[in-house]
Amino acid sequence: MDPILELRGVTKHYPGFSLRDVSFSLPRGFVCGLIGPNGAGKTTIVKLVLGLVRPEAGELRVCGDDPVTAERAVKDRIGFVHEVPAYYDHLRVGTLASIVRPFYSRWDQPLFEALVREFEVPAGTRFGSLSRGTRTKAALALALAHHAELLVLDEPTAGLDPVFRRSLLERLAAYVGDGRCSVLFSTHVTGDLERMADYVTFVRDGRLVFSSTREELGDRWFVVRGDPRLLDDAVRRSLAGVEIGPHAFTGLTGDPAAIRRALAGHEAVIEAATLEDIMYYTGRPC
Amino acid sequence: MLRNALRKDLLLNARHLWGILPWFLWVAYAMSEPDAARMTAVGAAFVGSLMATTIAAREDKLRTAATLASLPVSRRTLVEARYLVAFIAGAAAYVVVVAMAAALPWSVQRAAELVELKTVLLTLTLASAAIAVMMPLVIRFGMIGVVVFLGAFQLLGVAVMVAFEFFGMRSAVGVFSAVRRGIVALHRGLDQPVVILAALTAVALALWASCRLSVFLAERRDL
Repeated sequence: MDPILELRGVTKHYPGFSLRDVSFSLPRGFVCGLIGPNGAGKTTIVKLVLGLVRPEAGELRVCGDDPVTAERAVKDRIGFVHEVPAYYDHLRVGTLASIVRPFYSRWDQPLFEALVREFEVPAGTRFGSLSRGTRTKAALALALAHHAELLVLDEPTAGLDPVFRRSLLERLAAYVGDGRCSVLFSTHVTGDLERMADYVTFVRDGRLVFSSTREELGDRWFVVRGDPRLLDDAVRRSLAGVEIGPHAFTGLTGDPAAIRRALAGHEAVIEAATLEDIMYYTGRPC
Repeated sequence: MLRNALRKDLLLNARHLWGILPWFLWVAYAMSEPDAARMTAVGAAFVGSLMATTIAAREDKLRTAATLASLPVSRRTLVEARYLVAFIAGAAAYVVVVAMAAALPWSVQRAAELVELKTVLLTLTLASAAIAVMMPLVIRFGMIGVVVFLGAFQLLGVAVMVAFEFFGMRSAVGVFSAVRRGIVALHRGLDQPVVILAALTAVALALWASCRLSVFLAERRDL
């Protein structure tokens, strides 16, 4: 499959934080959820994709090009929504669009106007007067109005009401429907991804934990619950993370067959893990 | 694309650039002072250029730098547009002062004198020097860099005044006098072709080097 986004061994160092050796790819026509706790490196990956920061090692390709050397061509094909959309607050949404418009080779003004109406963004209102949710809607309208091939969303659903959140997810699903466009969706609200992500990439402490399809995750990761007295070495070795309560332990396993063998004859519950389970338990000590 | 980047900066920062307006009140007053009249025009262009160089610092303050850098335009073009905006702001300020010289009844400065080639060239030289020094500084250090740079000059001025007034150190003001004499001498010399050529060459070289440095800094900056 033709990847629209490809990272190979990408590394970036900051004082106090490093993103190390991150590799994953996103084929055209799919949605990839980028998950991880706060400070895991999600925003750094988003910035690398946008060329806002430069990798110190590794290779990064967006739509087949290097976002640093082919800066303009790459950004022309990306739509971006920042976690907290920051524009000049004294400008009206319509004025902002008139500033952004000339930069994009495929800007579609009727589409922008339709999106603004659909999202109920008051085009004549100053950006600084908009609520956080409406700012995100305005940023989404700007990002969608130039027929971007890759939509990069950094925590876009934060601050959105549930009704618009649901309709946004439906819109994104339709957006990738033609098989030409893709979405990279950074979030820690995993419920959004359960609904729409085809791929999930999980980073923690600047390292890639996994990147795979949602189906593969469902087949691989399971939550195990049982009596804490069952936690012997064999069980612990099969767990990727565990939380021990007074009456029961809850752990995450990527090896359900091994855990079934280890718990054979004992009372324990093994069920499919949600993304939140995977995020929560991965990295917890066993 | 440079045109779009230029338009972007002018539209986004129109309000900020109007911040030079209070300067014109002083210009209006100084038009009646024979000693200060010509320097107000030069000063207005200088201040206008400085205002425009702080656009990058303003983007840091408003946290819009990352959003704007995600537009499909190279950082080189964004930086080049900043230099153009600085020149446009300086030129606009100069035109306003010329118009004031023509319109204000108390002006001892005649507008015709302000549009003399040597005065225009002096203004260009000083404004270019300001832009060439400030732009890389702002791109590298942001608003803090501007404040530290201008604050250091203020402190230097205060120190010189104290040294002169309280300790009678005439040599302390010597540097400032030398700078002033140098500007006056340059102004006088700017009707000779050799000096004009030398000044324009120096301006072009300074701006070229400054722009290269600014692009280098901007391209390596993490947003």
